Amino acid sequence: MEIKKAAVIGAGVMGSGIAAHIANAGVPVTLLDIAPEGADDRDAIAKGALTRMAKADPAPFMSRAAQKLVTPGNIEDHLETLGECDWIVEAVIENPKIKHELYGRLEPIVKPEAVVSSNTSTIPLSILTEGRSDAFRSSFMVTHFFNPPRYMRLLEIVSGPSTDQAKLDAIHRFADMRLGKGVVMAKDTPGFVANRIGTFWIQAGLNEAFDLGLSVEEADAIASRPMGVPKTGIFGLMDLVGIDLMPHIAKSLLATLPENDAYRDIFRVEPFIETMISDGYIGRKGKGGFYRLNLEAGGRVKESINLKTGEWSKSEKIKVDAAEAGRQGLRAVVDHDSRPGEYAWRMLSQTLSYAAFLVPEIADSIVDVDDAMKLGYAWKYGPFELIDQLGVDYFADRLQQQGRPVPDLLEKARGRSFYRVEDGALQYLGVEGDYADVVRPDGVLLLADIKRQSEPLLKNGSAALWDIGGGVTCFEFTAKMNTLDDQVMELLARALDLTGRSHKAMVVYNEGTNFSVGANLGLAMFAANIAMWGQVEALVKGGQDTYKALKYAPFPVVSAPSGMALGGGCEIMLHSDAVQAHAETYCGLVEVGVGVIPAWGGSKEMLLRAIANKRRPGGPMPPVAQVFETIGTAKVARSAQQAKELMYLKPDDGVTMNRDRLLADAKARALALVEAEYQPPAPPDEIMLPGPSARAGLNMVVSDLAAQGKATPHDIVVSDALATVLSGGDHDVTEPLAEDELLTLEREAFMSLVKTSGTLDRIEHMLETGKPLRN
Amino acid sequence: MNTNVVIAGYARSPFHFAKKGALTKVRPDDLVANTVKGLVERSGVDPSDIEDLILGCAFPEGEQGLNMARLVVMLAGLPRSVAGTTVNRFCGSSMQSIHMAAGAIQLGAGDVFVCAGVESMTRVPMMGFNPLPNPALADAEPGAYMAMGTTAENLARKYQITRQAQEEFAVESHRKAAAAQQAGKLDDEIVPIKTGGESVDKDGCIRPDTSVDALAELRPAFDEEGTVTAGTSSPLTDGASATLVASEEYAKANGLTILARLKSVAVAGCDPTIMGIGPVGATRKALKRAGVELSDIDIIESNEAFAVQSMSVAQELGMDLSKANLDGGAIALGHPLGATGARITGKAAALLQREGKELALSTQCIGGGQGIATVLEAA
Repeated sequence: MEIKKAAVIGAGVMGSGIAAHIANAGVPVTLLDIAPEGADDRDAIAKGALTRMAKADPAPFMSRAAQKLVTPGNIEDHLETLGECDWIVEAVIENPKIKHELYGRLEPIVKPEAVVSSNTSTIPLSILTEGRSDAFRSSFMVTHFFNPPRYMRLLEIVSGPSTDQAKLDAIHRFADMRLGKGVVMAKDTPGFVANRIGTFWIQAGLNEAFDLGLSVEEADAIASRPMGVPKTGIFGLMDLVGIDLMPHIAKSLLATLPENDAYRDIFRVEPFIETMISDGYIGRKGKGGFYRLNLEAGGRVKESINLKTGEWSKSEKIKVDAAEAGRQGLRAVVDHDSRPGEYAWRMLSQTLSYAAFLVPEIADSIVDVDDAMKLGYAWKYGPFELIDQLGVDYFADRLQQQGRPVPDLLEKARGRSFYRVEDGALQYLGVEGDYADVVRPDGVLLLADIKRQSEPLLKNGSAALWDIGGGVTCFEFTAKMNTLDDQVMELLARALDLTGRSHKAMVVYNEGTNFSVGANLGLAMFAANIAMWGQVEALVKGGQDTYKALKYAPFPVVSAPSGMALGGGCEIMLHSDAVQAHAETYCGLVEVGVGVIPAWGGSKEMLLRAIANKRRPGGPMPPVAQVFETIGTAKVARSAQQAKELMYLKPDDGVTMNRDRLLADAKARALALVEAEYQPPAPPDEIMLPGPSARAGLNMVVSDLAAQGKATPHDIVVSDALATVLSGGDHDVTEPLAEDELLTLEREAFMSLVKTSGTLDRIEHMLETGKPLRN
Repeated sequence: MNTNVVIAGYARSPFHFAKKGALTKVRPDDLVANTVKGLVERSGVDPSDIEDLILGCAFPEGEQGLNMARLVVMLAGLPRSVAGTTVNRFCGSSMQSIHMAAGAIQLGAGDVFVCAGVESMTRVPMMGFNPLPNPALADAEPGAYMAMGTTAENLARKYQITRQAQEEFAVESHRKAAAAQQAGKLDDEIVPIKTGGESVDKDGCIRPDTSVDALAELRPAFDEEGTVTAGTSSPLTDGASATLVASEEYAKANGLTILARLKSVAVAGCDPTIMGIGPVGATRKALKRAGVELSDIDIIESNEAFAVQSMSVAQELGMDLSKANLDGGAIALGHPLGATGARITGKAAALLQREGKELALSTQCIGGGQGIATVLEAA
């Protein structure tokens, strides 16, 4: 079965977000909600959701084209139209009676081959299908998305005993390939996998913070980086999801959890939090939560609440010794002789042992549980990986010493670990106590797996080159944040040479959160501070030469970015023969933010693209003006689709929805180019640029913006340098430029800027604060 | 003048916001052709008598490019014997069309002309697709390419006109336009146009509900320390206009409806950094040539490129604003650059007839530092 048309019923936050994401996959969606009584516009609720989503940040939609794929309506007038849909997602209020009634109305409408699924997070499937026909039961499953559906990678799928396997497979495949989800097949148990453990974790974290008298900052400093958990920690996470939601989630879990479940033992209603809720401190959607932004007196002061007194004070960045100890590993944190150290142990030990008790009750394997927490709660490590970090024996012994029960699975693991690498293959411990290979689905290729199995072909402190099979190499950035420096360029030059001699194609890819955040500014700042201008210029020239060599290499190079691809990280994409981008790629030439211009050939490549664009207005100026705007305002695409609109990606560049499939897709793309008898690109024809007239015109625009308060004094300096490059310097409109002359212009402009105090101030400010300086 | 020249017809398209209004999908050549066709039909002129179509346009490139006037002759279904020329005096373009026709008639070089104007500010951007200023001139004469908003701010400083006064002026423009629209006073001049299966027959820029309080909320549009906002500037507009200009003899012989007789015309240059003051020099010349004083004028169409611009002109000339822009000005109606000159001159002629008055003036400012003016009298 192929999903060509879908519907979502319920236009709340989850329903509308799911509809938007199905549209992101290119599938038309009908979004229905109730028709409000007496309303003029009976589709008002669904339409309102679309209006809200069009403005929301982070954006639920990846492109304007996706927005147009959602058709709003209401269940009174449009339910019949769902007869055409292949997949209908129900995301209405968590009330079995209302869901039953809706399913009853849907049953005669949906076509036999269609799937109906519920986005319930708390109601067991067995209850949802009560009273339904066999046919309906075979078409029914739970598809539980996480908020926000576009960005949270987890999808829990729960099937019932009657669910048709082919339909289950079809939804699984669609969710994986088209929605980019990491699918975890969960059992039909309360809260499924991620929320079952996540809710417990939050409750344990709250309890112990109150009991041990920790401040919210102390608690969040522990329940974050040291454990590989997002920096919001527990209190920050509560603010994000809404403190008022917690009692509802707890209530529904308590209604269905087994009698002896450990959550029942730790669940408690903190009077302090009840007061906060009744005072309207329900989190970011309200007037604040455990943290708030105090905007009084025109300021923006982050404050936190004192858990003892309820008073607010400025939230200071604090240094918690136990958290710092995390540099020596997780065990050093839980061993730390301090209240925060004790906090870490209590919160973690309860949560991890809870998770160990729940396998196989909630999922078939520990891999599913780890995946669920990593994909659904953005933990860097799952519970069983965390236990491995503590050491299975250490963990079991300490539980035992404290007279606490040791889960069976943990006992089985004694003397071993939950994961191991055997002959280069990652294995996990099954519930019977035997190891089995972690099997990746077809079309999933992970560099992490390759790295377990082989040695790099080349490696230095900032990059590595791997053989990923089939005659393809993979160039990996490895520095912190995947920044780029002379070492990267040096290794890239060698990698091109090696690939050309012994391989067929190269992929530029890594498995960091961000593909690359651009050049290493610290290095540039250091060189500038001691006026080593020769070295700075050599770095610029080196990058230009290397990227140019990549562009004209005698074999195809495919870049495969995910996450941020900024500055030099974007420029390498621009020089590649093709890009296979993860849908969640955020690329941009943001150099002006630090007072310079793209000078590793990025300005040139964007200009060549704009000139070649057949859809642009005629004349010499439109391509120059377009690139000037894109680079001059440091536009960053918020999705791969948007990157196409901004021309960072070419129309035929590929987009992969599932992060885990990116490398395999990029490799296939590279091999397809080889198959098509790859020839390197021909150097551009003579480039005709409008010269000083265009520069004068662009500078006028910037001075008008400055008058409007939209450009700063140093913006004028930087923009003038950019305008000089893009207009072709002093070349007259009748004199063609060669590609290398544009590179020279880039380099000259870069060097003139990097010597200004305005630019150095910008670089320094970025290094210190991570934010651009508006000078 | 030895041969009298008359305006024997006036029509325009509805005016709509550029980029978001009802006419964004209409090509400018189609828009003005539809208007010209409407004018010719309503006036009853024999199309084969038309000597020339003189078409004003401020950014004649892209869809407004080539010799658009000749193409519009064909699009409007006029006989092939009708010639066509496209003229550019920026915002003064289609008033210039009328002046050129008048000159030709007086030379004996034709009896009847269509003098039109158009601008799709949606489809051809202001400054055009390829702004390539002369770098040496840009340095030597900053006003030559100065943004219009900046010139308006310069006037606000020079004439000490407050932001609130500008906002009151803008609200009044909207009030007059809304009242005129409500009373159906604009219906006769509008030639409806079909787009996207709908017929557009009303103006789209007028905001009847605007208020001084609402305008006070806006941020300055051109200078963060300044006083001019989007609310006190004429909006970017799509629109077209057309007038029928003929010798009085021809008009009478052919039974055309004469709206007004041309009495004098003038253009004048001024400091480009305060281009908005251009109408002062042009109006003084035109009044002198007509042998009348401003106080003799009953009906004034003084273009509102910006509230502060129109107010500066009024202040400098000692203009009685109660005689000006009776049905609202460009702040409310919109200002499709090339179309405005024929609109305000045609409108002044039509108002002379409607109000039963003797003398009218139409005048406007022009980017780069110019003014243009026309004095009309009842025929």
